[in-house]
Amino acid sequence: MTSSRDRPGPALSFARASARRDGRAIFLLDALRTTGRLGFAAGLALTAGRMIEAGTLEPAPLAGAFGALLVGGAAGWVAARRAARAEAGVAAAVLSQAEARLCEMPVRDLAGRPRGALVAGIQRHPGALARLVVSHAGARRTMALGPLLAVAAIAPVSWEAAAALILAMPLMIVFFALVGGLIQKRADTREAALGRLAAQFSDRVRALPTILANHGLERETQRLEARIGAYARGTMSVLAVAFLNSGILDFFSSLSIAVLAVFLGLGHLGLLNVPGFDHLALWQSLFILLVAPEYFAPFRRYAELYHAKAEGAAAAEALDWIFAPVAEGRALPDAVDARLAATTGLTWPTTGLVAITGASGTGKTTLLRRLAGVDTGAGAQPVGPPIAGERVSWVSTETDVAAGTLSDALVRGTDAIDRDGLTAVAGTLGLLDDALLPGGLDAPIHSGGENLSGGQRLRIAVARMLLATGPAFCDEPTAKLDADNAERVRRALRLAAASRLVVVATHDAALAALADARIDLAAPQLRPEAVAA
Amino acid sequence: MSAIAEPAAGAPGRAAPEPSGTDRAASAGRWRLAFFLAGLSLLAGILLASVSVWFLGAVALAGAGSAAIAFDFHTPGALVRLFALTRTLGKYGERLSGHAAALADQVSLRLTIFEAMTEAPATRAAGWQLSREERLADWLEDVEDRDDERLRVQFPAATLAFGFALLFAATLFAAPLAGAPILVFVGTLLLLGRRAMGRIAASEAALRTARRAGSSELGTALAALVPLAAERRREECLGSALAGFRAAEAARRRQAEAVATLDLAAGFFGPIAVTALMIAAFHAGARGGALLPAAFVGFGWLALGEAAGALSRIVVGRVKAKAARANLAVWTDGIARPSGNSPAPAAVAEIGLRGLRVAAPDGRPIGRVLDLTFRRGRPTAVTGVSGSGKTTLLKTIAGWLDPAEGTVTIDGAGLDAAARRRRVHLCLHDAAILADTVRANLFADGASDAELRAALAAVEMDRRIAEGGGLDAWITQDALSLGEAQRLNLARAFLTEASVILLDEPTEHLDAAQAIRILARLRLHAKDRILVYAAHRPPLSGDAVVPL
Repeated sequence: MTSSRDRPGPALSFARASARRDGRAIFLLDALRTTGRLGFAAGLALTAGRMIEAGTLEPAPLAGAFGALLVGGAAGWVAARRAARAEAGVAAAVLSQAEARLCEMPVRDLAGRPRGALVAGIQRHPGALARLVVSHAGARRTMALGPLLAVAAIAPVSWEAAAALILAMPLMIVFFALVGGLIQKRADTREAALGRLAAQFSDRVRALPTILANHGLERETQRLEARIGAYARGTMSVLAVAFLNSGILDFFSSLSIAVLAVFLGLGHLGLLNVPGFDHLALWQSLFILLVAPEYFAPFRRYAELYHAKAEGAAAAEALDWIFAPVAEGRALPDAVDARLAATTGLTWPTTGLVAITGASGTGKTTLLRRLAGVDTGAGAQPVGPPIAGERVSWVSTETDVAAGTLSDALVRGTDAIDRDGLTAVAGTLGLLDDALLPGGLDAPIHSGGENLSGGQRLRIAVARMLLATGPAFCDEPTAKLDADNAERVRRALRLAAASRLVVVATHDAALAALADARIDLAAPQLRPEAVAA
Repeated sequence: MSAIAEPAAGAPGRAAPEPSGTDRAASAGRWRLAFFLAGLSLLAGILLASVSVWFLGAVALAGAGSAAIAFDFHTPGALVRLFALTRTLGKYGERLSGHAAALADQVSLRLTIFEAMTEAPATRAAGWQLSREERLADWLEDVEDRDDERLRVQFPAATLAFGFALLFAATLFAAPLAGAPILVFVGTLLLLGRRAMGRIAASEAALRTARRAGSSELGTALAALVPLAAERRREECLGSALAGFRAAEAARRRQAEAVATLDLAAGFFGPIAVTALMIAAFHAGARGGALLPAAFVGFGWLALGEAAGALSRIVVGRVKAKAARANLAVWTDGIARPSGNSPAPAAVAEIGLRGLRVAAPDGRPIGRVLDLTFRRGRPTAVTGVSGSGKTTLLKTIAGWLDPAEGTVTIDGAGLDAAARRRRVHLCLHDAAILADTVRANLFADGASDAELRAALAAVEMDRRIAEGGGLDAWITQDALSLGEAQRLNLARAFLTEASVILLDEPTEHLDAAQAIRILARLRLHAKDRILVYAAHRPPLSGDAVVPL
């Protein structure tokens, strides 16, 4: 009752479309489930009514009651399983869409997004969105149908009682409108303050080492106590109003039983001559009494899902970006663009060491990425070396290292190789006698390579490059290394360049001196022949 | 900032918020009230159904005879209305008081967790895991599952048990024979619940494992986007990461299916109980009005059966709380009382390293043996390449890590780690920005506004902060660039009262000229203190250098 339903975003539309078929089946099953419950109520009322009034135990209504119960229960069971399947399906479809988007988005754009939020979002949002379009939407549809079925069941027994229930509806809506407005107002005024307070606890845990380093623990604990307390009080005052929603439904459903019981009772006593409420058999009045709460139950179930609704709506909004059209790669600064444009005429050898040099900000990394075919976005398109169909190696500190051992890290992304080969290559790069990475090839590597320094990562990337074939692109391969290791890497690159093309972007004058050809991006004029070694 | 409740000014040195006896008593009192209201509303709900049915049966029998005129319908009518109102109000009160009790518990539980975590060694070791958003989100979910345990598990379970005991006693009175089938069915239901709990726990464990694996892989892949894109492995790695999330969704599906089965079984409870009562009474020879007590109790069971639908939620809540408890225990178990973190004002003239070797995360000694002294007024740079142990050395001096060999002395005396921590200001290279005001972020409660502004000016952040709204403007990590965050972090070093200042990579994320300007100002500002900084760039000229 709170969110604006004006225009569904692309994520919500997509999820709704994926849930549509299952939604229909679940709706029908839910209708069957409700019918089963109503059938059970009829059978039970008939059995108990006849027992008390006529003193007979009639097997047919009892069997009917349990038959209906079984059918309804089975339908509910199937509906729930179907909903579980549909939710998993929708979530998987959203994940596939996310995967496609992550794969095709320009690296620059993707790298510009906060990584933690991205991971946390892809982890949680598809499921929340699926629950919105399956469970929550299902409850909404049932809210439309359930009361109708209940009224339809009562009508043959007493259409007047059915009419009374229908008449309760506008009254209920008035109540909802009043309370809904109140909730909205209260929530709005509270939200800003609460939103800030809600995140304080996890924020302070995130910043715990900083707090300790600044001797701020006492102060922050005090603040946290005050703020968590303030949040709890604020939440309570919102809940006090939010619970009125369910309270209204409880009120109507309880009162309908009470009022109907008294009216039907007076009818039985002959003290009330209202058509539809007098001269009923006991089973008929019992039936009305049993079914009346069913009229309100779907509203309650829907109201209880407000949490799923809020979470799902937020998830849908957060996921919209994976459905937005892919933007053109961001434009480069003009100066960088001009320099890259000047490199378009270069011709490339198939082997040899080529160094791209120039101060920070001149576009070394950008050029290297474009040459390797990463982000062929807007602006100048330098003609890179012919790499189509070839295995390319990329060397930088960013290289991916999964949890496992050093040998697992070395063979990742390369052809499986024998242990002797691994030992030789790792030895060349000083990875086997690294005091900070003890254990040789079996040295443990934590998830995400968290226990590795930038220099260790670099050397692992170089080792991998040596284990692979094809052209290699190296972004600052000797930065962050001590003199010995930098020399090892230089030797390795020089050796590799004998049989393949190795392009390095580097600040390292010693490495540039080893190159067969150099592209100096800081030079006023680029000489196209520079590369043709 | 008016919306944020601040603690009363000038209330320093508050004792640690260990849930005290009075806290516990207050919490128990709140839960008693909630339980009382829940029991009341459940009872009213049961009686509403029972009395209504009994009343209809009684008047139907009376209406058929001559007793109709004499029948007192006012009392049952009034009772039914009373029960309807009690049920509604009780339900509302139950929700409100239950949530109030749960929220009050949540405040003290979270503070307890926070304090325990401040003492966990992991907070001082290398790389703070919970600084990563996806891990923090997982961790927070655990805290929430743990928060909810009482409200979603113990509280409804106790209420259900109360209703069951009441109705079972009434059954023994009204139709004792029906007690047996009811017990048998409840036994079956509990057994099913147990089995379902096993399945739900297994899928919960699978879900958590798959989700964690997916997060870790996706994080790794996103950090390595350029190499992966260049090597044409981007699709493969992202696909494998997202397969983890798909597996998590599949596990969630299995969990929902187990819940559906439990819900199905629980749904049969009320109908079976009411039928058992009616038939048992009928077979015992009760007819007409004599059947009414059985109907009274039977339809009460039917009302309780509606509440039994919460059974699956109780089971899921219990499974989640158990898993969360185990995860949180990693942080909170075996932690001694907080040792305090307030700075000690004592001036320190020199810090000595005696035969010191720092320890790798696995405890082995690494690097060379250090025997040297840092003196007041003689700034020192610790240099070395990435991975040479600069951060480890600074943290060892600061008392955050234990050395593998040797000792750290302060003014000639060997001080324990906790005492060193109180004398040292450690400027972490990956320091966080709190979601709070600029003032709070500077951690200098005693400093005047002028001093705060001077510190911001020294790190060249004065204009940026003034434009953003001044000292009391709210800032967050995301609102600042890496360089701005680093400069704000350095402003904290300008404001500290500690007489030892250790800076880890103070020039990171800053351009060279700005880094030199800021560092030179800090050196001047701290000329009567011990200043040690780690650098992989060349240090300021004139500073002592310790190569690692």
